[in-house]
Amino acid sequence: MTSAPGAPRRVLGIEALSVTFRSPRAEQVAVRDVTIEVYPGEIVAIVGESGSGKSVTALSTLGLLPPHAAQQGRVEVDGLDVRSLGPERLRALRGARVAMVFQEPMTALNPAFSIGWQVAEALRVHDRRLSKREAMRRAGELLVLAGIRDAGRRLGQFPHELSGGLRQRVMIAIAIACDPKLLIADEATTALDVTVQAEILDLLRSIRDRMGTAVLVITHNMGVVADIADRVIVMKDGRVVEQASVDDLFERPQEPYTKRLLAAVPRLQPHPRGTRLLEEVAVPTRPGAAGSATPTAPRAPVPGAPDLRRSGDVLSVEHLTVEFGARATGRLRAVDDVSFSISPGEVLGLVGESGSGKSTVGKCIVGLVKPTSGRVRLWGEDLSAASGRSLKRLRRRCSVVFQDPGSSLDPRMTVAECVAEPLVVNRSGSRRSRDARVVSLLESVRLDADLRYRYPHELSGGQRQRVSIARALALGPELLVADEPTSALDVSVQATVLDLLLDLQAKFGFGCLFITHDLAVVSLLADRVAVMHSGRLVELGTRDEVLFNPKDPYTQRLVAAAPVPDPVEQRERRQKRLALAGGPGPGAEAGSTGQAGGGE
Amino acid sequence: MRSPFGWFLLKRLAQAVVVVFFVTLIVFGLLHALPGGVARGILGAQASNAEIASFNRAQGFDKPLPVQYWMYLSRLLHANLGTSYKLNQSVGSLIASRLPRTLVLTGVSTAVAFVVAVPLGVWQAIRRRRLADYVITTGAFVGYATPVYFLALLLVIVFNADLHLLPSQVPGTYNLGQLLAHPSVLVLPVVTLAVPTIAVFSRYTRSAVLDNLSEDYTRTARAKGAPERRVVGIHVLRNSLTPVIAMLGYYVPVMFSGAIVVEEIFNFPGMGLLFWNAAQTSDYPVLLGVILLIALATVTGSLLADIAQAVADPRVRSGLK
Amino acid sequence: MTRGTTGGPGTGDRSVPAAGSSPELGAPRPAVAHRAGRGAGMARRVARDFSRNRLGMVGLGIIVGLVLFCFVGPLVYHTDQVHVNLAQVDLPPGHSGHLLGTDDVGHDILGRLMYGGRNSLEIGLAAGVIAVWLGTLWGAVAGYAGGWVEGLMMRIVDAGIAIPALFLLLVVATMVTPTVPMLIVIIGLVSWLVPARLVRAETVSLRTRDYVQVVKAMGGGATRAVFRHIVPNVVGTMIVNATFQVADAILLLAYVSFLGLGLPQPQTDWGGMLSNGIQYTYDGYWWMIIPAGVVIVLVVSAFNFVGDALRDAFEVRLQGRS
Repeated sequence: MTSAPGAPRRVLGIEALSVTFRSPRAEQVAVRDVTIEVYPGEIVAIVGESGSGKSVTALSTLGLLPPHAAQQGRVEVDGLDVRSLGPERLRALRGARVAMVFQEPMTALNPAFSIGWQVAEALRVHDRRLSKREAMRRAGELLVLAGIRDAGRRLGQFPHELSGGLRQRVMIAIAIACDPKLLIADEATTALDVTVQAEILDLLRSIRDRMGTAVLVITHNMGVVADIADRVIVMKDGRVVEQASVDDLFERPQEPYTKRLLAAVPRLQPHPRGTRLLEEVAVPTRPGAAGSATPTAPRAPVPGAPDLRRSGDVLSVEHLTVEFGARATGRLRAVDDVSFSISPGEVLGLVGESGSGKSTVGKCIVGLVKPTSGRVRLWGEDLSAASGRSLKRLRRRCSVVFQDPGSSLDPRMTVAECVAEPLVVNRSGSRRSRDARVVSLLESVRLDADLRYRYPHELSGGQRQRVSIARALALGPELLVADEPTSALDVSVQATVLDLLLDLQAKFGFGCLFITHDLAVVSLLADRVAVMHSGRLVELGTRDEVLFNPKDPYTQRLVAAAPVPDPVEQRERRQKRLALAGGPGPGAEAGSTGQAGGGE
Repeated sequence: MRSPFGWFLLKRLAQAVVVVFFVTLIVFGLLHALPGGVARGILGAQASNAEIASFNRAQGFDKPLPVQYWMYLSRLLHANLGTSYKLNQSVGSLIASRLPRTLVLTGVSTAVAFVVAVPLGVWQAIRRRRLADYVITTGAFVGYATPVYFLALLLVIVFNADLHLLPSQVPGTYNLGQLLAHPSVLVLPVVTLAVPTIAVFSRYTRSAVLDNLSEDYTRTARAKGAPERRVVGIHVLRNSLTPVIAMLGYYVPVMFSGAIVVEEIFNFPGMGLLFWNAAQTSDYPVLLGVILLIALATVTGSLLADIAQAVADPRVRSGLK
Repeated sequence: MTRGTTGGPGTGDRSVPAAGSSPELGAPRPAVAHRAGRGAGMARRVARDFSRNRLGMVGLGIIVGLVLFCFVGPLVYHTDQVHVNLAQVDLPPGHSGHLLGTDDVGHDILGRLMYGGRNSLEIGLAAGVIAVWLGTLWGAVAGYAGGWVEGLMMRIVDAGIAIPALFLLLVVATMVTPTVPMLIVIIGLVSWLVPARLVRAETVSLRTRDYVQVVKAMGGGATRAVFRHIVPNVVGTMIVNATFQVADAILLLAYVSFLGLGLPQPQTDWGGMLSNGIQYTYDGYWWMIIPAGVVIVLVVSAFNFVGDALRDAFEVRLQGRS
């Protein structure tokens, strides 16, 4: 770490930068008076939630902001004033002195050209005399440098033939092609699975170590920050809130916002029962509100809530198998012989990476996907054998919350109509009683009842997800299937929604299948945990067994790869993980090809 | 046929066959929707009942409809489109002699339109919301909104009646070789047919380029330090051109519609004019034969377009799996 | 030439695979549109975005102007559009008080533009609405049904598209003598195919949305999914498409007379006037050709401008939603 000012020349100097987006409809300040310095060989993380201006700040260093962005202040890269450069000199700067890796490996590469061509292009645009053959040879070397083993074969492949992790390695190969002074990774690991994320972070670290490149990591993930950063800059609403070394920031956060942010991050640890992420939970105490009871003694049915213990398992999944695709082209087995059950009032965390088939399991349970073989039993009744009234009765007792708050509510319906829809569909109650029910449901998810006349697009992501939860609770379900319900939310919003779900579960005592990729979230709210990998259930047990004493090698790798928001602990975990993987350095990834799997 | 692409081809071909089947049904139905039947149309209102009965017997129109349809289909399967009532020639040979001329007309004007429209569309996309974009957009909408025969009239009035620069009529006896030997007779028909095509394709190119300009890979190319003309000219154009080229396949029926009008106005001796004259004389075998041929061309065109997209675009290719 | 199959300069945009819908490069989308739109109804925001589109406003102005011209004009400018007046045929503009001259049977051209325009606008509007209505129903049912039902319904659409409208109309012209209602039905019946394709594509994408899936999971039926969720969400597409369809119907109507399927005298429409003028190409009677041609071009491009602006306005709304 070379943050001592004065000695080496800084690679990046942002001074009092402000960026305003102007459109005919609105003017929005994205970045306000931001000052940042980065020195050679340093890994600096800018961390913030959506709308904090962190990505805009990053784009300004390459002069890549759109034309309607008005800038003030100074951006200096390797001694050059970026804002004063003409198009040709700006072009010469991009890729050569400062390079960037973007979030979406799926779309960041041109689908029409081979990856060898795309890496070679990065060399050739900065060195016109380089021959095609020579550029291709060096592209191969760069792929090796980026940890791609069989680089020779990969050169001729197209982006869609590579996995997400490999594509991100190609992006990194492009970025380091001209040996830049500064490498910016803008949410470069966000779209990746945790095991792949850990490898990409290792790669970035090794690039810094070997080439002395300064790395600026833009992220929302505190675990990533703890893993890789030397120094951390916290941004909120376009301003820098706090700057500190990584150990100081996590041990002694100074600003209230930083403290709140850190508190909101779920940690992978054996939480005692009844833990909430945020201490000061504001429960509405309106007179007559249904949700006024303070949550106590979770997992024990509250008096008045339906007693579910008598009926045996709420859900049992028996040898469930789901295949997709036409028989002629070969079928893809998304779910392969999965069995588990949920007893009344129990929360089962279903964990897996993308393509593991976890979402497909959830869809089978709520009847959106038909099993190829095997059974889903709800309260002992076979779902696929049920029809007509008995099917309807089963569906009343079971509801679902999806991941994307943007698409789970009909944009043409008011909040009240959305929440009341299950009641209407099941002809429950009169119009007036439904309205009263909507009000009490909204209050139980801690939303102002006045919001019920609004449309979904007028709400924030967190509010929309609460509406989804209210809708799921409308018929008083005994089983809730929640498919990544907080994954699309900012961490502080996620914390409030998780706390809410815990409170509601404690209060209503419904059984819950909580599907997620996030082990920390599972450690917070699950009683038992099931781990899926490539369609199979690899481990099933109590939370403490699975997460803190895993037996299955895949679970062990998964647990080891999950970054924890604590730099000291993360360093230890990294050593352990590398020992587990059998050695450090790039090239750890086996390099799978093809689609990430059709299961999700 | 285990490969996804082979499977896709097979499925797409089967769909095309079903479409052609529906087309024959529609065409057959059309023939029998004639008030008073075909015989009245051909023989005129004065024909005696005996004359009509003998005509119907000769054409097989006295048989039950399903039988007639079956006969019609089996004739088609033997590439027999019937015989013209008025021209005493088989419909097949009538079409065969005129189709090449129509293909020259439509082919040349499509090529001209493509060469003009693509650069226009790209230019508009990179000058989005600037003056050039507004001017070309307006031009494209006006070009699109002008009925082809009105445009033809204006061109004839200016370049033939007033300026005496170009001929407005193609000699009806011209064969393919003579047509190509006298390119001046082609100018007005080709231009007339090209204008609305330019309008459609420039708009289409514009939106394809705009879509691709907002793709992440464009930003990656810029971040590499690729110059803007390389970003647009290589990265964006390569991806935008695929849907535009595929559009050519879907455009077949529109092109033939234009040809029928243009051929009538300029007396261009192609399939459109054949169709037009057949309509004036109620020569139904010719009408139905031409319609069927165009439907076949349309189905083939969109089949080729789909295949071209699948072959050219790795994204579509991977979507097949 | 009508767009018939391909969707013309406007609708063509939709069929491009649209991965990134935001045209503004790299601009942070989430907050901007959201905050700006808070509290305003959808219709109001579409109207506001539309009103900022210059070409769209010009188009709207032209349409309003032409409607006034056709429906209010005759109250001010009285002409006889029924009787033949052989004493006043082929008069050039300005002659004997005829501002735009007279045609070959002595009708005043300006008055005839008003009179024929009513037919053109009414037929175009009605046929366009019928086409969109039919197409929406067909497309939504096919798209939601899926499977072989969808396959069959869409192959029928393909077959319809494979037979170009002009050819069909030319054949129909040999069979019938047209009236206004008949033209509406005929044009409507040959124009519903493109909207059917559009709506089907939209429905297929909506069908997989979470909010439609949730309805299924809570035990709601297909009717509810189609009419409460899918149809309201394709309204934007329908409105935009209807605008283009009206433009196309008016354009197609202009060909109808040219193909010999025109309204019998003394009725007429703009297309009838234009195709009637063809025979005087070499006589220098430009007033029988140009005015009718110009109003057709004006009204068709105006509807296209409006449709294009509407689509932009609706898409901005879509961006603000997610």
